[in-house]
Amino acid sequence: MDFTFSPEHVALRRMIREFAENEVAPIAAELDREHKVPYDVMRKLGEIGLLGVCFPQQYGGMGAGETGYCILMEELGRICTSTATNVGAHIGIGAMVVHLDGTPEQKEKYLTPLARGEKIAAFGLTEANAGSDAASIRTRAVREGDSWILDGGKVFITNGGYADVITVMAVTDPALGARGGVTAFIVESGWDGFSVAREEDKMGIRGTSTAELVFEELRVPHENVLGKVGEGFISFMKSLDMGRLTLGAACLGGAQAALEWSVRWAKTRRQFGAELAHKQSVQWMIANLATEVEALRSLVYRVAWLVDTGEPFTQLAAMCKMYGSEVASRAIDAALQIHGGLGYTRDFPIDRAFRDARIAEIFEGTNEIQRIVIATNIFREHGVRIRP
Amino acid sequence: MRIVVVVGRVLDPSGFVVNRRAGRVFVNREEYILHPADRCALEAALRIKDASGAEVVALPRAPLPDDDVLRQALSMGADRAIDLYGDALEAADEAVMSRVLAATVGRLGETALVLIGAQTLDTGFSQLGPRLAEALGWPQLVGAWQVDVAEGRVQAVLQSQGRYGVNEADLPAVVSVASGALEPRYPNGVRLINVYRGEGEVAQGLERWDVSSLVEADVLEPLVEQRGLDFPPERERGARARGTPQEMAAAAAEALRRHLRS
Repeated sequence: MDFTFSPEHVALRRMIREFAENEVAPIAAELDREHKVPYDVMRKLGEIGLLGVCFPQQYGGMGAGETGYCILMEELGRICTSTATNVGAHIGIGAMVVHLDGTPEQKEKYLTPLARGEKIAAFGLTEANAGSDAASIRTRAVREGDSWILDGGKVFITNGGYADVITVMAVTDPALGARGGVTAFIVESGWDGFSVAREEDKMGIRGTSTAELVFEELRVPHENVLGKVGEGFISFMKSLDMGRLTLGAACLGGAQAALEWSVRWAKTRRQFGAELAHKQSVQWMIANLATEVEALRSLVYRVAWLVDTGEPFTQLAAMCKMYGSEVASRAIDAALQIHGGLGYTRDFPIDRAFRDARIAEIFEGTNEIQRIVIATNIFREHGVRIRP
Repeated sequence: MRIVVVVGRVLDPSGFVVNRRAGRVFVNREEYILHPADRCALEAALRIKDASGAEVVALPRAPLPDDDVLRQALSMGADRAIDLYGDALEAADEAVMSRVLAATVGRLGETALVLIGAQTLDTGFSQLGPRLAEALGWPQLVGAWQVDVAEGRVQAVLQSQGRYGVNEADLPAVVSVASGALEPRYPNGVRLINVYRGEGEVAQGLERWDVSSLVEADVLEPLVEQRGLDFPPERERGARARGTPQEMAAAAAEALRRHLRS
């Protein structure tokens, strides 16, 4: 067993940390306050290659693997959850489907500009009546010669308001449903029939675009079918597995930040004649927090390693997402308690972190769904098939 | 045109704390960064390369236990980085390094410009640039805020007595660059991965030269002997201005004037 990062990953973390602290930290509060997407940050991330961190160099990526991608998400999550979310929706789910299931031509045409950050991706799965129950989507795709005609819409699509390329799931055979009747398509937002209906006004991650998309007789060429017709659900689930891991990595960054704030505050804040660091109640909170952060770190990078070595990881990725989001929420809650009344003001970043962290327990599969995934896998190993 | 940039490493200041009472430095994370001024020198070289094309070669400011900072230079855009090694080099002081670097520049040939940070972050040392210029017999400009090359001359914006002025020198020349003069670029991700993995063309830029092939053994005799280490004197506490904003501004201005005069 070797728990050390390779020299390239150490260097990559140094580069990303510097970028996040110089370019993202100064604007993080403003993004939240003014509900602004950090387009400039996304452009700069693309210029230095980070939006293709885990994709092959052949297609404009860096080739730093899933470990490199987790490092990116951790370091961004430590500074700004919104920025991490934009990046995660772009790399981790939007472009990831093209990377995993695209043909060489599709990768050349779509993955390369996405990896270079020249275009931005989104992932179109969720619908008004298909949230956790993703298999119930109703967006239809009907074959017409060399094209497919898409009708329907998607909701809560991260990056939806400004993405150039959206990977969309649509029903191609209603009789077959999720098993054989759903297909993934690569859609360009510039095409006729594509429109953004509305932007959500959210509690947190306010530096992201969460949009409702509408498709009206949207014509998609057959060459833009991702993977095989009817197997879209499998494509999307693979992508979501990876997304869950890296969401856990972003949560690790958020929890790490909460730990750092707490330690710094406990070192300086004096009450009853001594710094909080000398109060056992605070020591215990920080000890618990640090232990959970470290446990999460081990889990996240272990799963990244599994992905990079080609081992199965579905169940562990679900654990990363579920445990990561809960550790982040607990860590930020503890940081708030340690900071006391001052932490409750908007002079501190805890307010933003508190609201931002909460979404991680909900999106990319609610934590209830993650527990189902984990339990289903456990029981399957013991010969029990869970009934929905 | 070839531009040599001299770079050195320093312990990342965010990775350690100094405890004066215990008389110890606690290193929590042992990571090294380029001296900020050296990084600005590298940025100046890369800007000249971007504008008019040049080969940028990074050389070490002091003997390096590993080649990490040279890899950092390559990942930012240097074409070559040459690690200098040799048993006799381990005790090298700045006198030795200036001679070794002059010999290396001589061996490289066709170098038009040497750029180096004007000051190191840890010891505040600022002699290597001038000493190297002396060893090469080249003109030097010290503490540049901007560096441009045109028609066989180097132009540098220097600061002196609170003013900026443009100074020129004929090439070849040595220019030291002030810390904070330029905003250094981030490494390029693909270059970074390849150079640390030792893959591809970028990684080929990393070379190792034996010092004994460059200079005679007597050149490697250091002039400085280090007898021990101690903490620098504690810095004086700053003064707190009181009164109305106008009074505080006036007090701050007066303090600055006094500081500049001294």
